[in-house]
This record gives sequence, structure tokens and C-alpha cells, in this order.
Amino acid sequence: MRNLTDHADSINRLLSRYGVKFGIYKNQTFHEQLFPFDALPRIITGEEFSHLERGLRQRVDALNLFLADIYHEKKIVKDGVLPEAFLLESKGYLPECEGITPPAGIYSHISGIDLVQAQDKSWYILEDNLRIPSGASYPLIARELCRRASPQTFRQNDIVDNRHYADMLRDMMDYVSAPGMRVILTPGRYNAAYFEHSYLAERTDSALASNADLYVEDNKVYYRDYLGQAQRVGVIYRRLSDEYLDPLTFLPESLIGVPGLMNAYRAGNVAIVNAPGNGVADDKGIYYFVPKMIRYYLGEEPILKNAPTYLPFYKEDYAFVMDHLDRLVVKDVSEAGGYGVVFGRDLTREKLEGLRETIKREPRRFIAQEVIDFIDLPVMEDGRQVMRKADLRAFVLSGRETRVWPSGLTRFSRQADSFVVNSSQGGGFKDTWVLSR
Amino acid sequence: MGIISLDKSNRLIWLGRYTERTFTICRTLSRYYDDMLDRDEFAYRGFLDCLGLPYVYGSREAFIKTYIFDPSDPNSLASQLSRALDNAIVMREELTSDTLCYIQMAQDALRAGTQSSAPMLILQEVVDDLFAFWGSADDNVASEECRTLMKCGKYVERLDLYVRLGYSFREVEKETSKLMNRLSKVRFAHNERDAERLAALTRDEATYSRNKQAILSLLCTVLS
Repeated sequence: MRNLTDHADSINRLLSRYGVKFGIYKNQTFHEQLFPFDALPRIITGEEFSHLERGLRQRVDALNLFLADIYHEKKIVKDGVLPEAFLLESKGYLPECEGITPPAGIYSHISGIDLVQAQDKSWYILEDNLRIPSGASYPLIARELCRRASPQTFRQNDIVDNRHYADMLRDMMDYVSAPGMRVILTPGRYNAAYFEHSYLAERTDSALASNADLYVEDNKVYYRDYLGQAQRVGVIYRRLSDEYLDPLTFLPESLIGVPGLMNAYRAGNVAIVNAPGNGVADDKGIYYFVPKMIRYYLGEEPILKNAPTYLPFYKEDYAFVMDHLDRLVVKDVSEAGGYGVVFGRDLTREKLEGLRETIKREPRRFIAQEVIDFIDLPVMEDGRQVMRKADLRAFVLSGRETRVWPSGLTRFSRQADSFVVNSSQGGGFKDTWVLSR
Repeated sequence: MGIISLDKSNRLIWLGRYTERTFTICRTLSRYYDDMLDRDEFAYRGFLDCLGLPYVYGSREAFIKTYIFDPSDPNSLASQLSRALDNAIVMREELTSDTLCYIQMAQDALRAGTQSSAPMLILQEVVDDLFAFWGSADDNVASEECRTLMKCGKYVERLDLYVRLGYSFREVEKETSKLMNRLSKVRFAHNERDAERLAALTRDEATYSRNKQAILSLLCTVLS
């Protein structure tokens, strides 16, 4: 490992050379900056990964079955496993997607599952991201560059190669595709994850398109080239949110969507990766029900645990949350990216009471979780090793089969004692090594 | 990928133009910079005159600091390079990361050199990176159309600058011939009449000398 950290400067120079950046908006201005990289990887043993792999596949399979059910028969509601209110009040539930069966019946093609490892080494799932989970490109390119900068490290350690992510992605896109070309649809240059859009387009040999390049005719999507000739599009890996996807179906004021896209999708003439409407399954409130979904759809016990979670919607949970608010972490179900997360222990008495009142008024809007004291990982800071909180985003791709990428994005907090690891809030990233044994 | 949208074809042409603008200005500046050292500290005004830029730089030092390195000055070299990078970043899947990175490296070099006491060494690095960019583009960019569009932009910009900066007729003639060669390969509907007029106005030195303004106008429209 020493060898790798000795080459940290070279690795960072290479990351800069390849423009490995992410954007943030501060005071309504776009700033693009290098994503801070720490050369010390997170290491997962082969045995541990096998366990994670089984659990992640199980979870994503159940979530895909849930999405198919929710947009068709809703058996899980009829059977009383999920209260109807949770479905109807979920912002991610889109009535416009009712009755649509996506190509190959897959809804969540790319699932980004956030996990943490507790002090006793057991893994907990914190969040399922089934809409547009980002981040795979960072460890993908970091691995490539680390191998260049420190070849000895990779000769001396039995690390599973992770550089086939783009092949996995392309295989999945081809599997669900209608006849036509592959497109990655980006909202544009000033999106936070633009590097990822362009890098994955390059690596999957897909066209990187903005909405101006696409049009719909006779319920088919076409890519217009500069000579005015049209190419049929079979699959769109879209990197914009549902509500902006098609102004004729969702927000009419969207200037970045493709008019008529949902009709083409409904007709089965184009695959959209991930399917619109997935937000209903990664709603923080629905998260509570995922272990129940696994039992309901698969008849199996969940292999991976949720963090202990309480829903103020339920009377018993409400009472518990009110009594223990100062030790719980409260999350607004409609927020993402580390926003809307409040640790009760950090609040003044006055603010705690304010939160209590808000929960009382809108119990469905929040979940409360026990604070998991997840492990710190070593991080190099100014030439010395310090310990920082870190999570792991695992990527699960569903195509012909459900496959877990043997790697992942490890994000760490750059502030001592902070649990917030999101890049939008200053966090850094590490490579994630899966050992072959 | 090889299928180029209208927006991307424009990006490629402008990528070629801004890359070339940075490149030629870097090379030309070294001539003026040398004069500014010990012959004429205001020699940079001649350079500004050629490009039609205002005298907003109060001194030789301010010119070097602002015109070369300041990205907030829209006329600066740093701004031209930023625009090249802006156009390149959105073309990563066509250019490849291995080609795009040379423009990123040129920008990193220019940014790192802000406080340098030897700015021409920094510009040399930028020139080297841009040479590498074009070499890598020839080697790595699979689509010939993509390369042709970039090179059309490059030669139009080079000709424009050569005319403005007073490069010799022989050099203008050589670059015109390269542009015509590229235009003969493009599939898009460029302005063929303007291309023919451009060739006619650069056929001999006397005609060229009398028609510089007309040539500059044709360069604005030949790719439209």
C-alpha cells in the first residue's frame, strides 16, 4: 500500500489530466472542481464480496419486481404489505407510467445501493438509488490511472479487475434495446456529473446527445446528424430526471426533454435506462418496506440488513421517534444528495422542538434511523494518515442477469467527526478493491 | 461513435478554431515578447492593433499578466484556451479521453504559470500540448468526418490570423491550399462560391495584398 500512497501525487496529476471533475452550484454559479481522490483503497475480501453480491442481487431483484407490481396489479398494496398512502403520496410514483412494461421487463437497470459497515463489520443498507445513480465512472478511471502510476501494487495484490464496467453497461443496454443505436442523454455541460456522462459515452461507444439531437416521429426516436439524416435510437441511458424527460407528459416547461419520448417508450419502440417512475422504489419512506418486499416477492429472508428505521406514519414508531429524537437521524424523504438529513444530537433544544412539530404536522415526510456508528477508513491528509467516515455505493446492473460490479464508489468525509460523505458537500472518493480471495 | 449531430459539427469547427487561435497566438507572441524585453516595451500595442483589440493594458507587465493569463479577460489567451476546452469536453466520446487530455494539460500549464517569471516557457508548454493534441487526434479519432470538421475550423482560423498578423504571402498561400484540400473532403454544404473566391484572391501576392479585407470576410462565411 505504501507504494500506492507514494504515487498519490502522480495519480492526482493523471486525474487532473483526464479532467476527472464534478460540478457544484454555489450561489447560483457553476463551479467545476476535481473530485478529491484518496489513493488508499477500501478493501473487500472475496468472501465478504460474495455475501454482499448475494444480498445486493436479491435486493435489486425484489425492487424490480416491486416496480413491475406497482405499475400494474399493485398486489403488494392489496395484500396489505405496503399501505396505499405510501404509494399515493410518494413523489416518485408517476401515474403516467401506469401499465407500461419496459423492454425486457426491467425497470432498474443500474441500481446504486449505498451501504455502510458498522464497527462490528456487518453491512447495512442506507439507501437504494434507482433513478439516475451516478459515480461508477470515478473508481473506473481511478483504477486505470492507479495501475499506470503504481504497477507494483497491482502485481503484488490479488485484486479483481473492475475495468469491465463499460462492457457490463453496454451489454445491458444492448439487451434491453429496441432496434437502433445507443444514446446517453445528458442535460448538458453544466450538470454536476457531466464528466461521467461523457466518459461513459466514450467507453460504451454510445452517442452523447442533448435533447436538440433527438426527435420523435411515429412513436420512434431518432438521432439527427449534421447532414440532416436520421438514425433510429434503440436505447437511451438518460441522465436527466423523470420530470424533465418529456414536456408533453411531465413538466411542460422542461427545455431539456424530448417531446413525445414517453409515447415512443409506451409503444415499446425505445428502452429508457433507468425506467421513468422508479422514484417510487427509492423513496426513503419505501426503503423501510424493502425487507418486506424481499419476503413478499422472493419468499426469502433478506441477506443484507436495513439500518434500523422508524416511520412516524405508524403510531408505535411515531411515539418512539418523539421519545428518542435527540439520538436519531431524521431524513426528509423528498431530499437527496445528503440534504434534508438532520442528526438529533446536533440540534439545540429549540431546533429539536421545531423538528418535532414538523414531524407532527407531516409524519409521512420523514423517516428516522438509528445512527450507525460506521467504520472510519484511513485517508491520507497532508502526508499523514487520518481516519474518516466512509460509505460504499455498490452498482448492480440488471440485464440478461443481475450482476454486481466487483468494485464501487467509496465516498469519505473530509472533515473529522462528520458522517456526510456526499461529493456535493465536499466529500472525496476512493477506489474499492475486491480481492480475488 | 461517428454519427455527428449539427450541434457537434459546430463544436468541432469551433474546437479547431479556438485551438488554432491559442496555438498561433502563443507562437506570435514570442516575437512581440522578445521586442518588449529591451527594444520597445510597448511593442504589444502593434499586436493589439493587428487583432483589433483595445489598449486596455496599461503596461507591458499588465499586458503579460492579463492578456496571457487572465481567464476573466474575454480577449485573453487563457479565455481562448478555455473556449477550446469547453468545446472539447462535450466531444469526449468522439475525441477520446486520450486526445482531450492534451487540451486539459495545456490549460493546466497556463493556469500553473500565472506567476511565472518566464512566461514564454509556459507558452512553449502550451504549444507542445496543442501539437500533441493534433497528433493524438490524427491517431485516435476514428471518424474522418470529425477530424475534417476540426481541421476546417483550424485552417480557417489560421488563415484569418495570418492575414491579420501580417504573415507572409507564401505562408497564407500554403494554408489556403490546406483549407481547400480539407473542404474538398467535407460532406457538409459549405459555401463553395466563397471557397472559389478565396482561392482566386490568394492566387498571387499582388491580388492578395489588395484584397485582405475581402479575404477576411470570406473566411467568416466559407463554412456556413
